[in-house]
Amino acid sequence: MASYTAPLRDMRFVMNEFLDPARLRALPGCEEMTPDLVDPILEEAGKLCSEVLFPLNRSGDEEGCHIENGVVRTPKGFPEAYRMYCDGGWSALAADPEYGGQGLPRSVAMVFEEMMCSANLAFGMYPGLTHGAVAAISKHGTPEQKATYLPKMVSGEWTGTMCLTEPQCGTDLGLIRTRAVPADDGAYRITGNKIFISAGEHDLASNIIHLVLAKLPDAPKGTRGISLFLVPKFLPKADGSPGSRNGVLCTALEHKMGIKASATCAMAFDDAVGWMVGEPHRGLAAMFTMMNEARLGVGIQGLGLAEVSYQNAVAYAKDRLQGRGIDGTKHPDKPADPIIVHPDVRRMLLTMRAQTEGCRALAMWTALEQDIAHRHPDPETRQAADDFVQLITPVVKAYLTDAGWDGTATGMQVLGGHGYIRDWGMEQYVRDARIAQIYEGTNGIQALDLVGRKMGAHAGRYLRRFFHPVLAYIEAKSEDPAMAEEFILPLSKAFGRLQSATAEVARRGMGDPFEAGAVATDYLRLFGLTALAYCWARMAEVALDKQATDDTGFYKAKLTTARFFMQRILPQSSALSSGIMAGGKTLKEFEEAAF
Amino acid sequence: MSDERTGASDRRKAEGPGAVKQPRGAEGAIQKVGVIGAGVMGAGIAAHCANAGVPVVLLDIVPGGAAKAVQTMLRADPAPFMHKGAARLITAGDIGTDLALLGDCDWIVEAIVEKPEPKRELYAKLEAVRKAGSIISSNTSTIPLGDLVAGASAGFAADFLITHFFNPPRYMRLLEVVQGPATRADAVASITEFCDRRLGKTVIPCKDRPGFIANRIGGMWMQSAINNAFTMGLSVEEADALMSRPIGVPKTGVFGLLDLVGIDLMPHVAASMKATLPADDAYVQGLREHALITRLIKEGRTGRKGGKGGFYTRKRDAAGVQQKLAIDLASGEDRPEKKARLESLELRDLAKLAEHPDRGGRYMRAVLLDLLSYAASLVPEIADSVADVDAAMRLGYNWKWGPFELIDKVGAAWLAAALRADGRAVPKLLEQVGTGSFYRVQDGVLQFFGTDGAFHDVPRAPGVLLLADVKRRSKPLAKNAGASIWDIGDGVACLEFHSKMNALDPDILGMIGKALGMGKKGTFRALVIHNEAENFSVGANLGLALFAANIAAWGEIEGMIEQGQKAMLGLRNAPFPVVGAPSGMALGGGCEVLLHCTAVQAHAESYIGLVEVGVGLIPGWGGCATMLRRWTDNPKAPKGPMPAVAKAFEMISTAQVAKSAFEAQEMLLLRPTDGITMNRDRLLADAKARALAMVETHNVPEAPKPMRLPGASGHAALNMAVQQQVLMGRATPHDVVVCDQLGIALTGGKKDHTDEITDEEVMKLERQSFMALLKTPGTLARVEHMLETGRPLRN
Repeated sequence: MASYTAPLRDMRFVMNEFLDPARLRALPGCEEMTPDLVDPILEEAGKLCSEVLFPLNRSGDEEGCHIENGVVRTPKGFPEAYRMYCDGGWSALAADPEYGGQGLPRSVAMVFEEMMCSANLAFGMYPGLTHGAVAAISKHGTPEQKATYLPKMVSGEWTGTMCLTEPQCGTDLGLIRTRAVPADDGAYRITGNKIFISAGEHDLASNIIHLVLAKLPDAPKGTRGISLFLVPKFLPKADGSPGSRNGVLCTALEHKMGIKASATCAMAFDDAVGWMVGEPHRGLAAMFTMMNEARLGVGIQGLGLAEVSYQNAVAYAKDRLQGRGIDGTKHPDKPADPIIVHPDVRRMLLTMRAQTEGCRALAMWTALEQDIAHRHPDPETRQAADDFVQLITPVVKAYLTDAGWDGTATGMQVLGGHGYIRDWGMEQYVRDARIAQIYEGTNGIQALDLVGRKMGAHAGRYLRRFFHPVLAYIEAKSEDPAMAEEFILPLSKAFGRLQSATAEVARRGMGDPFEAGAVATDYLRLFGLTALAYCWARMAEVALDKQATDDTGFYKAKLTTARFFMQRILPQSSALSSGIMAGGKTLKEFEEAAF
Repeated sequence: MSDERTGASDRRKAEGPGAVKQPRGAEGAIQKVGVIGAGVMGAGIAAHCANAGVPVVLLDIVPGGAAKAVQTMLRADPAPFMHKGAARLITAGDIGTDLALLGDCDWIVEAIVEKPEPKRELYAKLEAVRKAGSIISSNTSTIPLGDLVAGASAGFAADFLITHFFNPPRYMRLLEVVQGPATRADAVASITEFCDRRLGKTVIPCKDRPGFIANRIGGMWMQSAINNAFTMGLSVEEADALMSRPIGVPKTGVFGLLDLVGIDLMPHVAASMKATLPADDAYVQGLREHALITRLIKEGRTGRKGGKGGFYTRKRDAAGVQQKLAIDLASGEDRPEKKARLESLELRDLAKLAEHPDRGGRYMRAVLLDLLSYAASLVPEIADSVADVDAAMRLGYNWKWGPFELIDKVGAAWLAAALRADGRAVPKLLEQVGTGSFYRVQDGVLQFFGTDGAFHDVPRAPGVLLLADVKRRSKPLAKNAGASIWDIGDGVACLEFHSKMNALDPDILGMIGKALGMGKKGTFRALVIHNEAENFSVGANLGLALFAANIAAWGEIEGMIEQGQKAMLGLRNAPFPVVGAPSGMALGGGCEVLLHCTAVQAHAESYIGLVEVGVGLIPGWGGCATMLRRWTDNPKAPKGPMPAVAKAFEMISTAQVAKSAFEAQEMLLLRPTDGITMNRDRLLADAKARALAMVETHNVPEAPKPMRLPGASGHAALNMAVQQQVLMGRATPHDVVVCDQLGIALTGGKKDHTDEITDEEVMKLERQSFMALLKTPGTLARVEHMLETGRPLRN
């Protein structure tokens, strides 16, 4: 039987031991974020996820969503679960207290997000999209818009969407055709078709607030001519309650590989009433202000799925008896040894574990920097933290979702044929994980963002926020006998490769952008590996310090996982570096007709 | 330190700037100049003659006016004088009482009020005092020469011509010269020779027609650009965006230019042109009065000089926040400035831009048709050749391309077709050129299309050597992305930088190494380092350095400093003469290149300085060591280790930049033996001659004797001085950090005055201090700010 238990021990390790909890508590509004306060919240969150959401994961996948006359029905149990989720205040966890939120820092909320993604990714999509819409309205909405919509969206009573994609445009939003015509009442009338709209229509909430990208009649061509509009499913009455039905309709549901319980809608806007959010023609910029947050959130989806797949793979590997240990029998009392004794099964499990724990550390480090970027009183400190978030966001999105795909596929592999059939649920994780590499900017786009935008910004200032602390750490620890050989040496090798690759990609990219694009994916992966190596070195340092008090074997396991990462995963950086240095010549030369 | 300053002026008094700086072979007929009228133009012309080391008499109608003008010019920015000492060459006087002072002047320039009567009266008086054979010229821009000499004696008319300078006379390189039927040829030759070699002007012969070349064509351009902006409904920002980069005009465009020169000048120019041009002239036909412009002049909003704004206005709002406003041409109201956004503006191809259907495209087409057809209709009326017209517009209006070069850009056939399509006449010259072009390169020589229908070589004054011409006719001896080496004849090579802004990067350092290798092998006998870009070099490539610092590539950066130091020492110790020939800015690393050359031949308009502290760094390529060396070896400097250190520290810590080659000499950035060339077009030839003159006697210089530096106690003294500056609010917190590191490098670090220290050891300290600074957040912030805004950050 599949199961999920929130990895609270490791989450606390990352929050309280890997990261410096004093940094979070030094922020205004976060003074109370001690383990005494946070731990019970996370325990409750874990319970909600394993007891309420996880049991609906498989049934939701099998049943999927259904549409009839524009009405969308979510799978059985989803409406009740959503009510429990809202009633428990989980929707408002990280939201602004001014609109009824609990104001918890992002770095705490992200832990909960990971649990939701592990337990039931499709369910998590509904509140996830709402959070994005709340962020956009908070930042760019008028006071009236905020007062009308935010409290209800924060509580979860109403949900939100982001309507960007159209049949003819996905990545290139400059091609948008949806029109917004000013009306006499100060509002606009929106007409056009949108596709791939997550949570576009459903039966969980009494109203759905769509944020829609559209063009004004006088809009300039391209991405500089897109504006953002708020279009509610029901127009709010004077008292704020949902009133008459607006001209927005779900015309179809997409049939997808995974996240089947998430309603992915085709939406038709027909003279729908909408209000502008932010300034004319600045819609894309407004959307992009929350893009980092959304992309980090997608990265967490990869992490969550890899985690749940790992847990179930371990359970199976300990339980399934097949053959004997290659180096001798381990369990003579049993008819065969459990497959966990086999070296290649161990390789798979440790690979999953090392990637998952490393990714968790990187993601939570990023979340902490986000909190600092939002809340720190000193503008220079805020700037430095924001620089880091800007830089690392594409890395987190792409590296973690790749790890999600690799991890869930490896988890399936551990189960062999039983992973491939539906009974154990392993194949669902694989299917669910695949979309995370695609949406919110494909991983190829993330790589281009890293080399094209982030690398060169302010002559490389974003890079400084990663390279300087990592080099300082290497220099500080290179004489430490416990660290130097096993952890600092491999880290510094990977770091050196990343430095050379960065200089080379920047240099070649200036002469020919194709060169930078040709190696962008490999470069992002090299960056991710190096970032994880840094996280692992620091985690190993903590584990070394705590060996004496290691009652549960947690730190010993951490150390061994750290060694495994350094010895068996990090060497990929050498191959990536060779590929990057070889450059894009072959990609450019190959005749189009010959493909 | 004040002793030093006296020393410097003593040297000047003793030798006179002219003695050192006078270009060889310039002993012409003109040894003394008189200027009458101490207005902006007259005073500026006088100052510039003094810059050339020539004694000048400056007279004004207002008693005491000339002396006052000299004083005003000493404080003006941009400075009319190239160095303060030049002012002493001017003898000021009054027209009423001191006319006799002109008695020994070889050339008398009249720059009084623009009315024929007073000018003629003055000329009559001059007849009584001027020496026989002296040349008289008027700086008029509007009055025909015939009117000026009406009634004058035959002798006066033979000695008379028009010399039309552009404002400001020191900086604008164009001189329009008009001769009358009676003017003697040798007078024209003397003035041309003097103005070319001594004043550094490009002399363009013009016909005696109103507005000569530049103002006639420039006037049409402005008129068309303004009229069409009003009628086609463009904003001033849009008009200026179109009338600048796309057609190679400075970024002020047309309305910004009016604000700069004064909007009230417009009606004067219009009136004088109208009075002298025939009624059917296209300029006269196009004259319009715009109510908005009339109103602005009436309200005293004449542009930047009045302080009340003009088309663009800077104003503080109630909260004290500076607002950038621009005038709405339709309503006449001020409104916030907004960047021009037009699809046509994004096009790089000028013909495509002019064919774009939006208002930007239609506007561009309309102005180009007016401007280019007018220019084509005026040759040979106003000038003998299209090459002269283009040169005048480039040098007099700072256009990147003259009108005929613009025609070649859009295509002569395109222009003719567009004129025909609009039912307009096609000028004869344009018909003649047909589907061809006005310029071509034939056998490596640039040629222009003559009025005779044949191509002729674009003329170069005798003795002029342009790298552009060398490049047209030959292939480089070596080349990479940042620099090239050219054979400029007689066994001399020219190392040309051509990176963006001529920032020094590994490519350029590599090419210096290559040049040294080739010279050692005997590929050439001497090397000139020169380029014809606006600036010699703005210093090291900061973008590369910052990027490397941001990824903590410290080893690579230190390697680049070492590579640079090695290249500089290579230049200094080359077995063949290396002559640096800068023009424009030579800053930071660009300055350090010059400091290590065997000799320098500088254009007078060279702006040299070690400005590294502006970006939180110190000179790392031997700039500190060389300045210490120069002050230590300066025979006039007081003895002891501290004075040299203090001088170098004072200059480097305040990022002083010499505002001319003469100032650079005072600051020891150039040596007394280094040469100065007034005419930019003659710089390469002068540098080459200097290099050739040194070939026979050149030896690898001996290693300089070690210096004695004050060490820790000197360092402490410098830091105390910096603290004083902090207390007075003149130094920022990061200045203290930078000065501390500069102090280490200049005082010898751990050495003290009992130790000897070599130049190489000082260079090692430079390197260490440079690296220490590059690791500080304050320096990284300064570099980033400079790269992104072009201005220093005061953190």
